[in-house]
Amino acid sequence: MSVEHRGLLSQLVRELVRLPGIGHKTAQRLAFHILKTDGEEALRLADAIRAVKERLAFCRQCRNIAEEELCEFCRDPKRDRSTILVVEEPSTLYAIERTASFRGLYHVLLGALSPLDGVGPSDIRAQDLIDRLQGGGVKEVILATSPTIEGEATAIYLTKLIKPHGVHVSRIAYGVPVGMDLDYADEVTLTKSIEGRRDL
Amino acid sequence: MPLLKTPAITLNSRKWGEADRIVTFYTLRFGKLRGVARGARRMKSRFGSALEPFVQCELNLFEKHGDSLYRITQADIREAFVGLREDLTLMSGAARLANLVAAVTGEGDQGPRIFETLVSGFRSLEDGNDPALTTLLYQIKLLGLTGFRPQTDHCTACSAAVGPTSGTVLRQFAPTSGGLVCPDCARRRPERCLPISPGSLALLQQALRWTPDVVTRLKATGQVRAELEAVIEAYVTVVTGKHLPPANFLAAEGNPQAYGTRD
Repeated sequence: MSVEHRGLLSQLVRELVRLPGIGHKTAQRLAFHILKTDGEEALRLADAIRAVKERLAFCRQCRNIAEEELCEFCRDPKRDRSTILVVEEPSTLYAIERTASFRGLYHVLLGALSPLDGVGPSDIRAQDLIDRLQGGGVKEVILATSPTIEGEATAIYLTKLIKPHGVHVSRIAYGVPVGMDLDYADEVTLTKSIEGRRDL
Repeated sequence: MPLLKTPAITLNSRKWGEADRIVTFYTLRFGKLRGVARGARRMKSRFGSALEPFVQCELNLFEKHGDSLYRITQADIREAFVGLREDLTLMSGAARLANLVAAVTGEGDQGPRIFETLVSGFRSLEDGNDPALTTLLYQIKLLGLTGFRPQTDHCTACSAAVGPTSGTVLRQFAPTSGGLVCPDCARRRPERCLPISPGSLALLQQALRWTPDVVTRLKATGQVRAELEAVIEAYVTVVTGKHLPPANFLAAEGNPQAYGTRD
């Protein structure tokens, strides 16, 4: 059954369809679920969306998601302020944070350069990073952009931008995922892992 | 659901859903195709880097009934073009060639010579030839192969001879007409025409005539190069119907100092 041109429900479907990865059928299913679910549960969802939009913003310093002017990491006095790890999106930041292996600060670019799609430096938060470096105290910047064409373009660009400031720049390692059988690794991954080998 | 197997070059790759990618290829046997690679973004994906832009791979895929997207089952790297990933200038040039092929070819239209020219263009860029000139010359080659060969002998409006040997001095290029126009027709045209000197015209004709493996022997500097770059840029915008990201997309933002390879 189509819910097109049926007032409030079709309005909800139209809004849901705008979400990434949601097609018309899925939007319709979600709309009917919301309609059938009890009022309190549906309103909790609405309140959560409203709260995210009203109370969350981007950290003034690192552009991570924050409930206050500074995010939880920038506010934490125990973090190492001499090292900044650069990621494309906040979701990557939380993936790295789950490892508990990094205790420095972050910088979120909110995007990546793309020669294919014409995404240039003014579309990402690169200048904010340079402004942070000019404040002094940073000894190393670790580039943790994805090993995709966009991530590589961003890493090359940032390296050129950061080096004149006398800050050490490093890139996260390329290589074979832990637990993988080497027979199944592709040529580029193997080449990069040999180039990036380390002494034992 | 026949299984298709073909050499292919990745033109573009977009995130899709939780961990998938929608990949646009130009293939040797079937022309441009789009397919879904399930789980391609997962750490232990069997595709690895084989579906990254500019990589030439041996592709296995099948057509799913009622779906315009193919299902990609396997991709093995034939030529990785790693050098194109490590230099922004080369990356931008390769991106321009890939974008042009993606924009001017239709899905399923076979064009083995387009495939071979694209591979040759990537090799020339990686071999260290002048990136901007290489990109320009291969754009001309690709336009010639995809049905958008610029008219370089006669006026596209009145058919008068305006080639290098015609004696006409003030030649103009009309992007919307796809070729040269004589001075009289240029004056009558409402849209802007671009000047093209005999040297630039000769270079354009040679680039169209020469085979991809020798086209980079052509050299151009100064006015000739600037004129031809302007002509091709305007013509590409007309045939694709949009402004493709420029071949020097960082320079366009006023950051030429940021160009170059990682130290």
